[in-house]
Amino acid sequence: MSAAVLNVIDLEMAFGGLKVLDGINLEVKAGEIRGLIGPNGAGKTTLLNIICGIHRPQKGDVRLNGASIVGRKPSSIARLGLGRTFQTSQLFQGMTVLENMMAGLHRRSRTGLFAAGFDRPRRRSEEKEMEAAAMSALAFVGMADLAERPATALSFGQQRVVEIARTLISEPALVLLDEPAVGLSANRLAELDTLLRKIRDQKGVTLILIEHVIHLVMGVCDQVTVLSSGRTIADGPPAAVRNDRAVIEAYLGKELSARYQAS
Amino acid sequence: MAPFGRRNVLLALLAAAIVLPAFANVYHLFIANLILVYVLLAIGLNILVGYAGQLAFANAAMFGIGAYATGLLQVRLGWSFWLAFPSGALLATAVGLAISLPALRLSGLYLALSTLAFAQATQWVFLHWESVTFGAGGFKTPPLSFAPLPIDKPLGLYYLSLVLMLALFLFAQNLVASRVGRAFVAVRDGEVAAQSLGVDLLRYKALAFGISGFYAGTAGGLYSAMLNFVAPEGFDLFQMVLQKAMIVVGGLGSITGSVLGAGLIILLLEALRAFKGLQEIVFGALLVGFVLFMRGGLSSVLKRHVRGWEEPLRLPQPSAPMPAPRPIEAPAVRGEQ
Repeated sequence: MSAAVLNVIDLEMAFGGLKVLDGINLEVKAGEIRGLIGPNGAGKTTLLNIICGIHRPQKGDVRLNGASIVGRKPSSIARLGLGRTFQTSQLFQGMTVLENMMAGLHRRSRTGLFAAGFDRPRRRSEEKEMEAAAMSALAFVGMADLAERPATALSFGQQRVVEIARTLISEPALVLLDEPAVGLSANRLAELDTLLRKIRDQKGVTLILIEHVIHLVMGVCDQVTVLSSGRTIADGPPAAVRNDRAVIEAYLGKELSARYQAS
Repeated sequence: MAPFGRRNVLLALLAAAIVLPAFANVYHLFIANLILVYVLLAIGLNILVGYAGQLAFANAAMFGIGAYATGLLQVRLGWSFWLAFPSGALLATAVGLAISLPALRLSGLYLALSTLAFAQATQWVFLHWESVTFGAGGFKTPPLSFAPLPIDKPLGLYYLSLVLMLALFLFAQNLVASRVGRAFVAVRDGEVAAQSLGVDLLRYKALAFGISGFYAGTAGGLYSAMLNFVAPEGFDLFQMVLQKAMIVVGGLGSITGSVLGAGLIILLLEALRAFKGLQEIVFGALLVGFVLFMRGGLSSVLKRHVRGWEEPLRLPQPSAPMPAPRPIEAPAVRGEQ
């Protein structure tokens, strides 16, 4: 069995009386791209926020590389190697694209208050390394020529791509992409599809892709997990999940799904 | 490269500051020294408000704590200025770190209100803890002497302020163009995203509060020595408005802007000294005017219209004057295959 990067064990979460997650189990192996889909309200975002440390579950455990991360601060989980992107652009608006990328290397760099303020050699060498790494990461996503632009000058789609690059640059053990396709035009969507495949083929990252655009998920992911009403209703390779009865029912309802399968 | 760039203008100002005492009378030297003190205050406040994005109103209190501690350690405990001054700065730093603790839980207006309350409480302590602080009347500090050096006190203090201002200016400029400065801006521009990149909010907010406390405390110690006198009214709400005006006029998120803002506001204050009562009105109008029409302050106008005023949040590249097409394409080729 190859090592699991992420283990989610019997996770339960309720807001008030509403049970949002009801015994979720998930295991993501190193190098795997896992799709996480489900109708609205299935609990995808809650699960993601628990993994990131924003919410604390009432029951269950989350393990990153075997160590429990429940109760840790988001920044501390990030330093253990968890990266994520957001549904709305979270680029730092007061920075250029390049500076955003360098901020992405925060957990990989060590310059502290005095090394920085007194301009010690460490600051100089580390700044150069970070800049070179940031430029090559921007080149990888085809954004090198925008490096000196303010983040605010980028289009919506460009911001999305830079944000993904900023997350990948520190080579986290696991990356959560929260609906990267949301709000993208058809052209941009095709570009995102290409980019995700390129990341999969060349970077070998472990990735959880939360997405409503199903063809994106089916094209990129090795395994797909389907949530509905806080439970896992299917788990397997894209082809199997696509034809799973429970999944079709969750999306279309029982009646429609019967008609869909008859046709 | 850029003859009127930031670097050249600042070097010219520094040269002027070095030779100024040769031409200035006592009053001019006092005003120049006051500007140096306020540059320290403005830089510290700008790191906290402009870079780290913490809308705090405790800087005047920190300034007062530096001044009171430096003065009282001399008067009450008989310490020398040279020991009391750094101790005062460190005490202000410690207080800055302490008030950063609620700052982690509060933001925006709530942080502004709680730090304002802290400032008022400090003011109350200065006024009413008479057995220690001498109350509303204030107290005189012992005369400062630069003994082995053959210079009188105003001149010695001026150059001491200039050296400290220069050192702390350079420190701040290096700091903001580094990993730490980017972490501050990350906290300002998006706390959730900053955390997701591993930036510890508590650590960097505390750091920003501590730094601004240190700068304000240092300024307070120098200020007490300039006046040879410490009293509560120097550290009231108007003091806070003054400092905010400096960073708003100079430019939030700009170390150079802090220098320009402090200089301009102090000169304006002196120009208006003859018209008491007008000062508050002019500063109020100035603040509103800049907030409405010139959000980024002077430094953003200079950045837009004059070459060489950029203040990147990373190591400046002396070899590459302008962002030309980047030479670092080599690793990309491998990636594109």
